[in-house]
Amino acid sequence: MTLTYKPAGTIAHRLDPRSKLGVQIAFAIAAFAHTTLGGLAVLTALGGVLLAVARLPVGRTLWELRFVVVLVTLPVLIEGLTWDTPPFSVAEARGPALASYRVLLIVLVSATYVRSTPIRDSEAAIRWAIPGKAGRLLATGVALVFRFLPVLRADLAATRRAMAARLGSERPLTERMELIAVGGLQRAFGRADRLALAMNARCFAWNPTLPDLRFSRVDLPAFCLTGALLLWAAL
Amino acid sequence: MRWWLRRGPTGGRTTMSTGTSGVDLVGDEVARNLARAALFAALTGAFAYVSFPNPVSPAPITLQVLGVFLAGIMLGPAWGGVAMVLYLLAGAVGVPIFAGGSAGIGILFGSTAGYLWSYPITAVLIGVLVHSGLEVRDLRAASTTRLVGAMVAGVVVIYGLGVLGIMAVNDVGFVAAFLAGAAAFIPAEALKIAAALGIVRNERLTAT
Repeated sequence: MTLTYKPAGTIAHRLDPRSKLGVQIAFAIAAFAHTTLGGLAVLTALGGVLLAVARLPVGRTLWELRFVVVLVTLPVLIEGLTWDTPPFSVAEARGPALASYRVLLIVLVSATYVRSTPIRDSEAAIRWAIPGKAGRLLATGVALVFRFLPVLRADLAATRRAMAARLGSERPLTERMELIAVGGLQRAFGRADRLALAMNARCFAWNPTLPDLRFSRVDLPAFCLTGALLLWAAL
Repeated sequence: MRWWLRRGPTGGRTTMSTGTSGVDLVGDEVARNLARAALFAALTGAFAYVSFPNPVSPAPITLQVLGVFLAGIMLGPAWGGVAMVLYLLAGAVGVPIFAGGSAGIGILFGSTAGYLWSYPITAVLIGVLVHSGLEVRDLRAASTTRLVGAMVAGVVVIYGLGVLGIMAVNDVGFVAAFLAGAAAFIPAEALKIAAALGIVRNERLTAT
């Protein structure tokens, strides 16, 4: 999976995470409000610009998101099927095709955020957006998920390799699922308890020093774009 | 934590002492539950990468939904729900934990939106049904019928909202949404429920 954060000096990387989140949400609202040929043409052009700003190649991004592309396409193909000849009705599939294309655009634009925003910035944005203890818990939780995903994936892969070496792959499917999940859970619980101890030892507090998030002049176009998209969606 | 140097009672010698005034510590219980919820969210994401060939349908089986079941059963309704909210939030800000290793806020508006939004609801529902309330109780007290019933209810919520999501997002009818998003996957859920029962009763985990 290469569609993750990569450090670079693009304008998208220099933007405040909050303005990037604002653009994405406004883009999605506009796409749902204007699911027409004309509306989607405008949003395609805008999406292309946003991807270019983040220096994200469209083809490669689509390949990375191939699972999403299949999921978006399948309902359209099924909806277009008919019992008559020809077996596929373009008229039936037109509306769903536009709706599905809109989803693809939204997902592509959100990929620019994924590529250009380090998790620390997102953590700070979550703390800013959700006040109080809930925000603190969620922000820390997200950071922990990010740090532990590769470790837990490696744990599960190690369990699978060990099973295969002992001919465990010949066992019934439910037993295999159970063995892998138990192995994963046992290690996850062990890691969680050690982590909690370590967090307490380091004075895990409700009121830590917040990282400094600041809007700059680069964010001004992003604000204008968010405002314009929301205004267009409301029309 | 604030550190400062203070003149000791002997005058010339300095001693170091610590102060915790102004620092609102989180506490052992919440820190432990948060760590477990975050690790559970990460495990649910890691489960998305574990796939098995499906004996009854062409769609491969991934263990993601098993993560949702187990979050409700093992962490209870409150922290199980938090684990699933963390899962959605982490995926939205770019941790590659959604199906197929995808991420981004766009996925929460996409074809799988109904399934994803149903995860916190399902974890809370399963937690409430298994623990008969918001308090976490000893799992050994929960009967097999109760566990299976709770997970079946969970499957109904996940696929119900999942199919509704496809209908709304892709603008298709019920039949197309059901065929594309549920028909090929539902038979495997029975296997996951069976596996979850074995996991909950597994001796290696009952001690934790």
